[in-house]
Amino acid sequence: MSAPVPSQPREETFIEEMKRYLHLGENDAILLKRLLPRLEKHLPEMAERFYAQIPHHPGASRVFTGGQAQVVRLKSTLQAWGRGLFNGVYDEHYADDRFQIGFRHVRIALDQKYVISAMGVVRSFLQEKMFDEFPNRKERLAYSQALSKILDLDLNLMCDSYFRATMAHLQTLNQELAQAGLQLAEANAIKDEFLAQVSHDLRTPLNSILSFTKLVLDGLCISPEEEKEVLRDVFSSGQLLLRLVNDLLDISSIEAGKLALQLEELDPRAVLDSTLPLVAVQAASRNLRLVDETLEQQLPLVRGDEIRFRQVLLNLLSNAVKFTPSGGVAIRATVDHAQGFLRIEIEDTGIGIPADKRDSVFEKFVRHDPAALSGITGSGLGLAIAKRLVEMMHGKIGLEGGSKGNGSIAWFTLPLASHAQPPEARPA
Amino acid sequence: MNQPAPQGRKQRIIIVEDNALVAKFFQMALERAGGFSCLITEDVPGILREVAAGEVDLVLLDVSLTNAEWDGRNVNGVELCRLLKEKSPRRLPVLLATAHAMSGDRERLLESSGADGYLEKPVYESAQLVAKVRELMA
Repeated sequence: MSAPVPSQPREETFIEEMKRYLHLGENDAILLKRLLPRLEKHLPEMAERFYAQIPHHPGASRVFTGGQAQVVRLKSTLQAWGRGLFNGVYDEHYADDRFQIGFRHVRIALDQKYVISAMGVVRSFLQEKMFDEFPNRKERLAYSQALSKILDLDLNLMCDSYFRATMAHLQTLNQELAQAGLQLAEANAIKDEFLAQVSHDLRTPLNSILSFTKLVLDGLCISPEEEKEVLRDVFSSGQLLLRLVNDLLDISSIEAGKLALQLEELDPRAVLDSTLPLVAVQAASRNLRLVDETLEQQLPLVRGDEIRFRQVLLNLLSNAVKFTPSGGVAIRATVDHAQGFLRIEIEDTGIGIPADKRDSVFEKFVRHDPAALSGITGSGLGLAIAKRLVEMMHGKIGLEGGSKGNGSIAWFTLPLASHAQPPEARPA
Repeated sequence: MNQPAPQGRKQRIIIVEDNALVAKFFQMALERAGGFSCLITEDVPGILREVAAGEVDLVLLDVSLTNAEWDGRNVNGVELCRLLKEKSPRRLPVLLATAHAMSGDRERLLESSGADGYLEKPVYESAQLVAKVRELMA
């Protein structure tokens, strides 16, 4: 149940205020009503005069996009306005109607000065017709004054409408500007954070290289074996540094939109066969089984970039091996003919990733190295790169929990060649 | 090659540092200098047990830690330092290792943690590390 609205002193509306200001009274309304039958026959010509201004409007081609049909429609609207002008009903409804004009025109970027000057043309046309209709000067004066008042009222309503519409438009623009400013600040903050992270991550292996080299140079190792061990740390730090630099170059060229992919028909079998041996050594050295369950399958052609396809596959496979202390890694493939994609799954029996963290691993520098793997072992960019590459090949990527309750399943999809967009022109 | 100079009981240093290679460098630098025996760990309850038993002579503590947990949550070097000072039955020097980017915060970190000194990372010179440790133990 709504509470009764407390009675308030009603503010004078704009139209009442203007009527009072212009001394537009009952008498004028009566005179104007009488004018209608005398001037109605001139309304078509009035509309012609009004719209004869269009060619002089600098943005006409932008505003009057509806062609001749639109102009014909507008001319009849203008005549209807003319009839309403003499009709004698100058109420809120009349005002509301005129208040729409500004909003309409601001929306289509029609400059108000052109409409106001066209209304001036209408005014002098109607006054000119008054001379024809009322040769008697005294009679003409009374009618002419009433006509002037209503035209002034109309012009005032229109100008007020332009003012309100412009304010509303500015407000929208301001909001958009503020929003853009916020987004820019946010992007900037992300960039700063990225830079800080990158410089930290670059320094870490570099510091190890320097400090261990110095240890050897200072003769602090107690045996040639220990010297070798320290040099191995220097070497692996160098490798990590190189990987980080490569990944940084990759991600920055992807984000700058400078990485061009060559999308072509690919045989997934060939990519799998050439990639798996690269991780097989890694897996064998950790006593992990690496099982390709796709061997018996006939895999359809997909559409992608061969080098990037291999890069994604290698990244997911080496992650699986890296985070699996025991057990194995299996590669599976499923084909969805209806949706038109090939899905490649890599399941490991490793440490897994909690469900609520699975999306964030695809963000830059999000690592889930557990205690067992303390210290930085990767660039923290591999999955972020893989995600972007897969998306550039019009596929998807994700991470799920392993089917046996432990480990995880990393998967990605690529569109089938038979289902993909027709290839763009490329050298034969 | 330098030979450790055995003179009675070796001084016990706990190294709390989440980067394995950095920790390894600290350990090698100190042990080769002679007179120190180091333990690398992020196991907070274990550290506190040793400290409470008065078996530790110095703790080398990194400010940012990944795996150090106490009371069911992760703790950083500053919080851990306060814990150590609280539990130790005797004077326990703590050397706080701070990263390069924290130069502005260094004094504040030192004060809020109650540490006895700080070591600015990166450290390449083992002599510099050893000198700092000996200074705090003196």
